[in-house]
Amino acid sequence: MTQQRPGMFQPALICGLAAGVLTAVPLINCLCCLWIIGGAILAAFLFSKRSPQPLTPGDGAVLGIMTGIVAAVADAIVSLPFEAMNREYVQRFLDQFSQFFEEMPRGWEKLVESRAAGASPAWFLLGLLASAVIYAAMGALGGVIGASTFARPKNPPAQGSPGETSPDPSHRQP
Amino acid sequence: MPENVLEKEDTPSIWERTVLRTYLVTSLVYPLWLAGIWLAPYLKSHSSRWASLVYALYAPVCHQVAGRSFFCFGQPLAVCARCSGIYVGFLLGLGVFPWLRKKGRLSLPSARVFLLVSAPIVLDTAANFLKVWSTPSVIRLVTGLLWGAILPFYFIPGVTDLFVTRRKNRLKSLPASP
Repeated sequence: MTQQRPGMFQPALICGLAAGVLTAVPLINCLCCLWIIGGAILAAFLFSKRSPQPLTPGDGAVLGIMTGIVAAVADAIVSLPFEAMNREYVQRFLDQFSQFFEEMPRGWEKLVESRAAGASPAWFLLGLLASAVIYAAMGALGGVIGASTFARPKNPPAQGSPGETSPDPSHRQP
Repeated sequence: MPENVLEKEDTPSIWERTVLRTYLVTSLVYPLWLAGIWLAPYLKSHSSRWASLVYALYAPVCHQVAGRSFFCFGQPLAVCARCSGIYVGFLLGLGVFPWLRKKGRLSLPSARVFLLVSAPIVLDTAANFLKVWSTPSVIRLVTGLLWGAILPFYFIPGVTDLFVTRRKNRLKSLPASP
């Protein structure tokens, strides 16, 4: 079930882009991680609407991880124009890494210098990697919530099919 | 607590083992992430050069507005009050997860429970965002706590289902032994 289905990428792309943009735009980004979780829930909703098969929690987690990674990429790209507006945040990075000069390996000095001159590909990729891991975890959470919320009951399996068990009614809680 | 119960075709032992592993890994890793929230102000109060790095780690997931954050060691926490609530709530949820979960099967909180728990945080966040009202940090913390506490009940079963299903698919793809 967790094998990537053909229709999984599209909702992840749409919702990931939306969540990433909303996370990057100043003022709107006050909702913090909720945009990513919300985006993954929405992706699960879109997927479950299109898919004839029910969305399992595992599927939801995969969909959420994909949404989170797309959101991280979108966030990183959209954040670039806003970087000038967010001087304080950038300054904090620069201050911190200029303090590392004595302790960090030689390669880092060049990296810091290039960062001071402007956005470097290395810093961009480092930030993107960190965001991708964090957003993927949050996306997985949102995907599972979405799978739980929008899951439709499975069709009963054909009788006697190997490895298939019918849903046990005793599992349902009052 | 009413729950959605989804079909699980795996033997309870595999499921239980995977739940236990997922739970243990989450319980070991998550406190490190949580500790960073207090580590940042501690380092900053000691003028450590690492403080900014720790603050920067949390920047992608929180606006870090000092006016909306709790202070510790005379410095703002690495995340705002609401996010602090969500993260501490997640830890509380992890703590009670072994006692409240349904053993041997995949069960997730129902949509109704999720909506009920989400209503305060959604309402308060929307109202603050639209400037209808401005709640103190304690209220933000409480709404976050409430919401964060339910998240492990999705995260652990969801990740477990992912691993169990992947394992099952891998076993299916192996050629049958003669």
